[in-house]
Amino acid sequence: MKELRKKTIEKQKEKGKKIAAVFPIHYPRELLRAFGYHPVEVWGPPGVEREEGFKHFQPYTCDIVMRGFSFILKRKEVDLILVPHTCDSLQGMASVTKDFVNPPVPVLTLYHPRGRKKEDVEFLEKEIKRLFEKLCEITGKNPGKEELMNSITREEKADAVFGELYEIRDDLNLTDREFYEFLRTREFLPPEEFISMAKSLPEGKRRGEGKKIIISGILPEPMEIFDLINKKGGIVIDDDLACCGRRIYQSGKSEEPFRRMAERILSAPPDPTLGSRLEERIEYLLKKMEKRKADGILIYNPKFCEPELFDFPFIKKELTNRKIKVQFIETEILRDISHQTIQRIDTFLEVL
Amino acid sequence: MSVSSVVRYTLGFKTFGRAFLKIQKFSDMYKMARLKPQPDDPLNPPLKSSVLLKEIMSVHYLEGRYVEGVKKVAWVSSGAPVEPLRALGYFVVYPENHAALCGARRVAVEICEEAEREGFSMDLCSYARTDIGSAISGKTPVGKIPKPDLLVVCTNICQTILYWFKNLSYYFKVPLAVIDTPFIFDDMEEHQIEYVKRQIEEMIITAEKVAGKSISFKKLRKVISLSKEAAELWLEIIYRGRFKPSPITAFDTFVHMAPIVGLRGEEITVIYYRKLLKEIDERIKNGIGAIKNEKKRILWDNLPVWFRLNWLSRYLASRGANIVTSTYTLQWGELAPMIDIERPLESAAKIYLYPLLNRSVRYKLATMKKMVKEFDIDGVLLHSDRSCKPYSLGQIDERNLLVKEGIPAVLIDADHNDMRAYSEEQVKNRLDAFLEIL
Repeated sequence: MKELRKKTIEKQKEKGKKIAAVFPIHYPRELLRAFGYHPVEVWGPPGVEREEGFKHFQPYTCDIVMRGFSFILKRKEVDLILVPHTCDSLQGMASVTKDFVNPPVPVLTLYHPRGRKKEDVEFLEKEIKRLFEKLCEITGKNPGKEELMNSITREEKADAVFGELYEIRDDLNLTDREFYEFLRTREFLPPEEFISMAKSLPEGKRRGEGKKIIISGILPEPMEIFDLINKKGGIVIDDDLACCGRRIYQSGKSEEPFRRMAERILSAPPDPTLGSRLEERIEYLLKKMEKRKADGILIYNPKFCEPELFDFPFIKKELTNRKIKVQFIETEILRDISHQTIQRIDTFLEVL
Repeated sequence: MSVSSVVRYTLGFKTFGRAFLKIQKFSDMYKMARLKPQPDDPLNPPLKSSVLLKEIMSVHYLEGRYVEGVKKVAWVSSGAPVEPLRALGYFVVYPENHAALCGARRVAVEICEEAEREGFSMDLCSYARTDIGSAISGKTPVGKIPKPDLLVVCTNICQTILYWFKNLSYYFKVPLAVIDTPFIFDDMEEHQIEYVKRQIEEMIITAEKVAGKSISFKKLRKVISLSKEAAELWLEIIYRGRFKPSPITAFDTFVHMAPIVGLRGEEITVIYYRKLLKEIDERIKNGIGAIKNEKKRILWDNLPVWFRLNWLSRYLASRGANIVTSTYTLQWGELAPMIDIERPLESAAKIYLYPLLNRSVRYKLATMKKMVKEFDIDGVLLHSDRSCKPYSLGQIDERNLLVKEGIPAVLIDADHNDMRAYSEEQVKNRLDAFLEIL
């Protein structure tokens, strides 16, 4: 995946595209593309040294900020940084980067609302328009409605394929790791390439069998976590991950591009960073468990992630009350899986 | 409203409870009057108004014990627009105030453990853990906190508060009104104001539904004018720290801020701050400082360390250092001039968007530099508060930039409520080194 990501960036650069480094989670990819930017997401790549992060942030800051910040400052290929307002830590990072670090490229922010009511959609529409105006200022371009709608349609097609892959998962001859590595190419591939690669995924019976688990949390790093689950007798039947399943967007309805982009983002499944209530999240997880006939749920999170940590106790309580097995693992974004994680997964799958 | 609740409320709170608190007040006044200056105490005798403060807060918490079934109860975050709720007759509880009280009384850890047993991580805000732990277990140093009928949260202090209130809403099964205030990275924009205004309107509709009555805008204007006056008085009080020697310390303001946070919009708050200001002005007139030997003037950044307030205050005073002001307490006064009684909702939208914590680190640094000048500060003490990420992230650069401009500054690691995340020896070492270089 790392190689493909690197090659994609090189290829896009050759094509004259600029690279937008985008922090998690929700943002309008289509808007960046309409301005000739190629978005590449930064989820704190595993193993990146946190040195730069430590110069600016306290040790109780999450790994996505620490590593992502350290990573981004060293990348010469980056032409723009976009930080959606996902949480307090990313807010602090964005503000420090904009105000104190002053990197040689523009740092833009996007505030998304913590609700999905009419006024939330309208606010996000205006917020996206604000971002559009900033991009006009930076690039000197001013894409019209048609251009924006084209860009939106391209992303919506890729979104639809992304969602469909979950439905045909059992008919893809892939291991869990292969499947999720492919899903995560959406973080850096242009939509057409993603669609074309999706179509060429090998058909057949899914590889691996065992206890069916759903993985929830922010991101499954290191990706070897899937191999470990398979090795210990489990399969990942579905997910509620911020980088994957929580971004199965529905196409917007409006013919107005900014409104449509807002509708798309706010169509995402329940997500604490979008202000979803605990009731919604519990119901969503229960439905998923039932649909996939899952045996248990693994909550796998980077340390210090407040949106996740706050939701966990009552989610666990409700699921446990329904005799659903829940395992919580807190981790750092490392290259290797820690011994503690191995033991916990081992025990969890044994209990299942 | 049930008859038994009203009887309990009338007897327990209005009759015997208040009478008891009056007696206690006289006893406290007597003790205060007999208080003789101690030669070895680095602090001058405390402000006499503290007796009234204690009474006001005790009355508030006492009413809370008996209020269920008599008035509707709203739990509100510290940065939320409380005025409509007061106009609708709600009894308002501030979980953050209560958590701070638990911290100051040193019972926060025990209560946090209740939340931790339920699965709330020790890495989460200790106010949230204190409050959730108290809700789950009923443990509180004030006897009883009434259950909410409505929750109102505003994200202008952090996102943490939203996650925390979502948990409360789930636990108590009551409606949660969210006022989401977009973070101001640069300047406030029209669509942000409009968004907040619409949410305040929505919150009023929810509050009316729960209260079963409509809001009176005449009453709302009255409450807002009381809020404005209290905030203006509070700002005056904070600014008295500019005098030399300073008649107050930031530690005084941490304690005396309870009414501006928890009783904003109440008449008693205005009465109290008028009295407090008068007493402070008396001190200024007589050249009395809050500490006996003010050699160095320090600015505090971030929340207080509630459980070591007294120790920190005396330790610093014994070395001639007076923390004369703080960025934290300034927040409840700095926006007072923006309150517009004639345009209540629009001005509220702007004010609730604009607190220090909802603005960029650049703005925060500029505020600190301004305060350094205005209060003639010798050094800045930044409390890196493990529990408060939005306040703390940025402090490393802020410290470095202050130092670069010739303003001595130091970071101390602590937590506002959790004693387990605090090492006194480490704090002492850093303070000693800092005071040496001043």
